[in-house]
Amino acid sequence: MEPIVRKLPFEGVRVADLSMMWAGPYATKLLAELGAEVLKIESPSAWDNIRTLIAFPDQAEPWNSSYYFNTYNRAKKSVTLDLAQVRGRAVFLELLAHCDVLIENYRADVLDKLGLSYDVLRAANPQLVIVSMAGFGKTGADRALVGFGPVIEMMSGLTSLTGYVDDDVSYKCGVSYGDPVAGVAAAGAVAMGLLQRRRRGVAPIVDLAQREVAATFAGGAFVAAHRDPAVRHHGNRHPAGAIAPRGVYRCLDEARHRDTGAYALIAGREADEQWIAVSALDDGQWAELAALIGRPEWAALPLTERVARHDELDGAISAWAAPLEAGEAVAELRDRGVAAARVLDMVAIHDDAQLRARGFWIDLPHPNMPEGWVQPGPSWRFVEADTAPKVRAPLFGEHTRAVLSELLGYDEATLDALAAEAVIADAPINPGVG
Amino acid sequence: MTKVPRRMDQPLQGMRVVEVAGGVPAASCAHLLAGYGADVVRVEGADVPVAPHWTLSADEATYLLPGKRRVLLEGEEAGAAAALAALVASAEVVVLDGPPGRFDVPAWRAANPSLVAVTISPFGWTGPDRGLPADDLIAYAAGGLLSLTGDPASTPLATGGAQALWFGALHAFAAVTGAYYGAVVHGEGDWIDLSLQECMAGALELYGPAAAYGEPAALRFGNYHRAVWALYPCADGYAGVFCLERQVPALFAAIGEEALREERFRDPQQRPQHDEELSAYVLSFMVDRTGDELARLGAERKIPFGKVRTPAELLDSPALADRGFFDTVQRADGSTVAVPGRPFLGMDWKGGGPERAPVEPIEAVLAGWSRS
Repeated sequence: MEPIVRKLPFEGVRVADLSMMWAGPYATKLLAELGAEVLKIESPSAWDNIRTLIAFPDQAEPWNSSYYFNTYNRAKKSVTLDLAQVRGRAVFLELLAHCDVLIENYRADVLDKLGLSYDVLRAANPQLVIVSMAGFGKTGADRALVGFGPVIEMMSGLTSLTGYVDDDVSYKCGVSYGDPVAGVAAAGAVAMGLLQRRRRGVAPIVDLAQREVAATFAGGAFVAAHRDPAVRHHGNRHPAGAIAPRGVYRCLDEARHRDTGAYALIAGREADEQWIAVSALDDGQWAELAALIGRPEWAALPLTERVARHDELDGAISAWAAPLEAGEAVAELRDRGVAAARVLDMVAIHDDAQLRARGFWIDLPHPNMPEGWVQPGPSWRFVEADTAPKVRAPLFGEHTRAVLSELLGYDEATLDALAAEAVIADAPINPGVG
Repeated sequence: MTKVPRRMDQPLQGMRVVEVAGGVPAASCAHLLAGYGADVVRVEGADVPVAPHWTLSADEATYLLPGKRRVLLEGEEAGAAAALAALVASAEVVVLDGPPGRFDVPAWRAANPSLVAVTISPFGWTGPDRGLPADDLIAYAAGGLLSLTGDPASTPLATGGAQALWFGALHAFAAVTGAYYGAVVHGEGDWIDLSLQECMAGALELYGPAAAYGEPAALRFGNYHRAVWALYPCADGYAGVFCLERQVPALFAAIGEEALREERFRDPQQRPQHDEELSAYVLSFMVDRTGDELARLGAERKIPFGKVRTPAELLDSPALADRGFFDTVQRADGSTVAVPGRPFLGMDWKGGGPERAPVEPIEAVLAGWSRS
């Protein structure tokens, strides 16, 4: 079906975004992709940390040059306001009167300490949908805890479920998983908050505890815990033995020796290893897999026996895969109808045929990014409305003057005075300390 | 007809949802919609194409099926398809996670312009891989997260609990609520073709964007990135400390070692050369303290400590109980279990209840959903 030019769901919705790092910006990225006007508000003296989390020593404006920041903040407007200053807070509250939504992921006590309690925010705009995303919520005994995505994942029960077979060590996810999980939920909370406001005339205040959202991803494990409180690790095998064999198997390495430079501080070692994931989803797939790996005499093994002999089967699959290139191995498996995929690493995923065919990687030119730099497209693929991102991430403070002029009617003299007081700025005041 | 009682002020009150034989992705998406007030009818039966190997385990069903009505789709194929189409024509939302191409979603959209349809599949409904068989592990591998997770000295390791499916489900829920808001305001629904692979490929933190920038592919880290961003043994299990630069001074002060005043540790540019030595200081600090002690210290000094908690531990958490986080499900045998409840506070949620509703005739649902 050809895209039809028509309104996006959140067209006409304006979001004041005080969020930083990944969870909140991930949420507002989703909102922007559906048409919301997102005003990313940062202080000249305390900006979003991910601008400078990675060192870009050769860049003239490192705060505008981060691939981390520029991926998750596209299609937003950058407005600077120092909320630690009385004048900055006053401008912010004035701005809120023109917004539909406020979203923030500060620590639970920060808004109050800034003098921006819910009462103050509501006085500025009684119809404002407010979504707070503190790690452990705004109430309760754990509200003072501090945490980023890995802490959220650990405290939610999810990390405890992850580990190698019969090994007691739990492993965290390779990304700060609590962040995007909370971000997606927050985007849903905004949509429902707007619905509720429209229908009942009352805008909600949403208290989203990131730990609680993540815990909902372990729902079945909570039921199981009533039966047996112990957690057992299954590696990559099916926890109930409903699929076997199932695992990841190493193929030929792919040499990619490049200078890691400063990136080594963040990423550690470079991945030359190539792996495939294989799941024999049923007896038929197993029979095909057994034939492929040169063990046709195993083709009739029932599931129970495959589970019992999983180590032996893994050994045979590993031996088959070891001399093959990963792409070649996956192609052979898929030709036979066996569920398989390359374990796509961060380079290979950009060349994946499926993602390329769907136009997943998009190129939004940015003055501080190299030509041809791509970023992920929307995860929510609307088939009819056109949600393809068209606007790059903003430069620091790029829209401050335009927004304050258009929404609040500030003239140049007022804006200059704000700049002179460092309430607004077009560059961080203390770069490097973010 | 069995009516699931709803408070009239729930945010999704009035939303009618058809869940077609959902595995975790569709069932969890619809579970969240039901909790916030949608009238969810789960369509089951031999003629409903369940996503292979996504079928709910008994524990997942206990968690995800309360609060939904159920109908059975049976009989000859054309009749079953017509019955399903009639249900969808009366609904605001349809959620599918079966094999791509099995249903004529564009026809459903054409018949019901305000309908929001979400199809959840491993690779999406287009592209060369669209029909390939896949379970959670395959989708997790194709989405990139598997390559980043696990011990670098061992194999890549899937995060426990079938995360590709749950993450896709949450994406579906949020996308549906957004699209539904658009349908209410602008009068047009849409079809959301949700690919689990794309949901994960869009959440590769800095590692995916770095490779796009020309940096090398990152190898999985296991539990240790650097001394101040790592998971360690503690006195009663495992605990982590995950500090940004601004929190490092507080961590060093808490550890209290004189050596940590030295410039080589304080300077973030020099610190990586002394990371192994620093990790020994952090380890000796962590192993002497329980998770609760670390949590208290973290709250006092604003240090991001966390303990690896199990679901059983969380069921006993006073903090979660205090926030009313858990719902109660009544099982058929008369017992009850506590399960995670609303994902966030601030809008009315009704979760829990009987484990499984009785099957209703489709005609009864249609009569109740009549737009006349």
